[in-house]
Amino acid sequence: MSVRGTRVPPHLRLPIAGVTPPPTEEAGQRLFPTGNFRFYRPVYRDKMPPCNNACPTGEQIQKYLDYVKHDRYLDGYLTIMEDNPMPSVTGRVCYHPCEAACNRGEHDEPIGIRNVERFLGDYGLALPDNPITATLPALNGTTVAIVGSGPAGLACAYHLRRRGYASVIFEALSRPGGMLRGGIPHWHLPEGILDAEIAKILDLGGIEIRCGVRVGTDISWTDLTSHHAVFLAVGQDVGRRLPAEGAQARGVVGALEFLREAGFNRPVKVGRQVLVVGGGNTASDAARSAIRLGGGTAAIVSLESADELLIVGEDLEQARDEGVEFKVNTALVRVITADGSPAGPVTGAVLCRATPAKDANGAVTPQFEEGTEYEVACDTVLVAIGQVQQLDWLPPHLVERGLIKSTGYGIVGGTPQTPGTIFAGGDVVRGPAMVVDALGDGKRAAHNIDAVLRGQALAPGAPVEVMPYAGLNAAYFGHAARVEAPMAPPAERRRGQQIEVTLAYSREQAVAESDRCMSCGVCNGCDNCYIVCPDVSVMRDARTNGHYSIRTNYCKGCLVCVQECPTGCLEKVPELDFDEPASVTRMETAFAPYDGAHAEQSAFTRQLIEDQIAEYDAERRTLAHKGNVAGSGQTGAR
Amino acid sequence: MVYHELTVWSRGIIMDKEARDVSSCVAAAARRLGYHAENVSDYVDDPDRTNCLVRRYARFGDEPIVDRFVYENPHPDWVVLIEETIIKAVNFFRGTRDGQGVLVVNSARDPAYLLRFLPPEMLAKLGKLVVVDAVGLADTRGGTSPWMFVRDLSELAFDRMSTEGAAERLAIGLGVAAPVIGALIAATGVLPIDEVAGVVADRDAMMRGAAEHRVIDYQGATPAAAATD
Repeated sequence: MSVRGTRVPPHLRLPIAGVTPPPTEEAGQRLFPTGNFRFYRPVYRDKMPPCNNACPTGEQIQKYLDYVKHDRYLDGYLTIMEDNPMPSVTGRVCYHPCEAACNRGEHDEPIGIRNVERFLGDYGLALPDNPITATLPALNGTTVAIVGSGPAGLACAYHLRRRGYASVIFEALSRPGGMLRGGIPHWHLPEGILDAEIAKILDLGGIEIRCGVRVGTDISWTDLTSHHAVFLAVGQDVGRRLPAEGAQARGVVGALEFLREAGFNRPVKVGRQVLVVGGGNTASDAARSAIRLGGGTAAIVSLESADELLIVGEDLEQARDEGVEFKVNTALVRVITADGSPAGPVTGAVLCRATPAKDANGAVTPQFEEGTEYEVACDTVLVAIGQVQQLDWLPPHLVERGLIKSTGYGIVGGTPQTPGTIFAGGDVVRGPAMVVDALGDGKRAAHNIDAVLRGQALAPGAPVEVMPYAGLNAAYFGHAARVEAPMAPPAERRRGQQIEVTLAYSREQAVAESDRCMSCGVCNGCDNCYIVCPDVSVMRDARTNGHYSIRTNYCKGCLVCVQECPTGCLEKVPELDFDEPASVTRMETAFAPYDGAHAEQSAFTRQLIEDQIAEYDAERRTLAHKGNVAGSGQTGAR
Repeated sequence: MVYHELTVWSRGIIMDKEARDVSSCVAAAARRLGYHAENVSDYVDDPDRTNCLVRRYARFGDEPIVDRFVYENPHPDWVVLIEETIIKAVNFFRGTRDGQGVLVVNSARDPAYLLRFLPPEMLAKLGKLVVVDAVGLADTRGGTSPWMFVRDLSELAFDRMSTEGAAERLAIGLGVAAPVIGALIAATGVLPIDEVAGVVADRDAMMRGAAEHRVIDYQGATPAAAATD
């Protein structure tokens, strides 16, 4: 229908297309402020991804996987280094609580986070200059004493250096590294990698390691407490003794001591028929090292059943591949020596069926099944039934059940006092745990030491909201198999202590695996909200993570963006929760192209009616007048 | 002389019937009581859009209504917000005389918090703020939601289906509308509640709304004074 000739009243003459400023411009939103359509507002709020939450060091895993995805390896490396000073180490030895927590595990298979971490760590080690050095503040003149150069001690020194503190680390052994050197075999963590990671930390300046200094012997408790602050991370490097007859025999060796000698490249003698007593990761490491060093067989004797073994899944599988035999639900009753004397060479052992039980102190003891004893031949018994630490140099009230007693925030001996606050962390506080637990303790200790030295109150971190799988828009994620790291073939591995078992991802593999990350709860700049918004209300200033904003004066609250956000970082919040007045333009009428159009329209309508009535009346008057004339005629006719 | 103008604000499509029921019931009850009354659907806004602001009007008085072609209420003294967020969205007191506006909001929030959203010029017109948790008081009739579409508000926000194929509940004065009518009638005190109950389908929910609502008497005026033009 043509509108030519239609009279449009002035207040209804609107700017037309081409002249009307679009709502992407500020002027357009003043013209059409439809923000009042909305009763829920889409809000970008990043949650904590489960991997990051599970990592004791708090590595921002989602963030560095995203960097790797985009070929930004240096950024990825620097991201790890904010939390963990030795990604090349943890990238090899970590028992990856992150992967256990990974939401992708519910989707198909968890991300190979550890392998990507190793890729980035090795990338960092290969850099000609340490990129961290340039980011460090100048030393502030305060020196912190650290006891133990294991992962906890080194992490504490590193994080203190990042905050401007110098540190001096006392190490009892001849070389630094603690359990990393003395507990983890070379086929798992090559010596060169550990040395390079330690050198990289020492390169930062301000960190001194004094090897061969044992606390309690070479320096006293009083010497220690004269420092501004002390961090005790002495670990647990003394193996528990075998509580069985024949424990003194020649050939009965603590697994920890065996691994330490091997780790320090000292000559170790191991037989060709090795029994390892214990059901944990140390037992597995010792058995696998014994096969490599002795060239014979190794059997693990454990109280635990096959399902209860405390050996990490992939290690168990690798041990089986390498020919380690498992005698589960079995205990060692006594060691048999050649001449029957207590200190004679080992020739065998008596085993029997048994199950684990707890004694009065809660420690695990064997529950023997009488009458099931049998003899096996062996020439070496490695004992891996737990570890302890010598703590008699400490004031006795600070020690409880072989561990250092610490209050919250890792503080030993009561309330914070400066100078001289004592912190502790790592295995000596928590008992045998993961490398990454120790690294996390070191990081937290550095944070807390810094706070105490500055006179700040220690406070718990803010509670976090961990993103569950159910919160993701799983329809957006296809299924892709996990990229498994290449492995050396089992026959090859058995040939020597120096042959690394798990091999590195290639660049392509690292990128492909990072690409599987679902970025749980964290904006990864996928542009989905930007694309799906039917109202051009999602704005983006740069195509990077989190750089989106909602035009609150225009967003109509349809929530398509929230529905279509793959990661769940967008959520709907009731609009009335926001009480800042500027965020929504209050309109004069319901849907007004400009202020007051309805009122004007209403007035116009009223005028129109009145005009028509006036016109009608005027016509009537005219008719009446004519009628009067005609009427008189009619009257006259009547 | 009795004359009142009721403007009900709601959202297009998904909460349309709730608003329509409130204005219909008030006009129908007034007519039963012998007043001259009028109930007008929205002609000026565009009610066919999900979420957009829509209005329903009713007016009644003891003299004939002459301006019957002016659909908008020029001086609304009773204003109902079916959805709480509208309190920050629009000047619903346009034309209301100073201190005479009775504002009824369907909300579970604290009335004092809601007052924070009104600018001074609107507060000047507010006589009384009535807050009724109609969603909490309404009967879900075996379903999960008292709204017209049998879903909760959070799902209504995700509404994608328009009214096409949707079945409205035909009875007038069901669900969220009933407690809102109860609170409005009780707080204004002009129409006898038993008379109004005769035109409301869910009488019990209406009575719950009449009994359970919170009032801030902003100008210290009595309901009768606020209601008299």
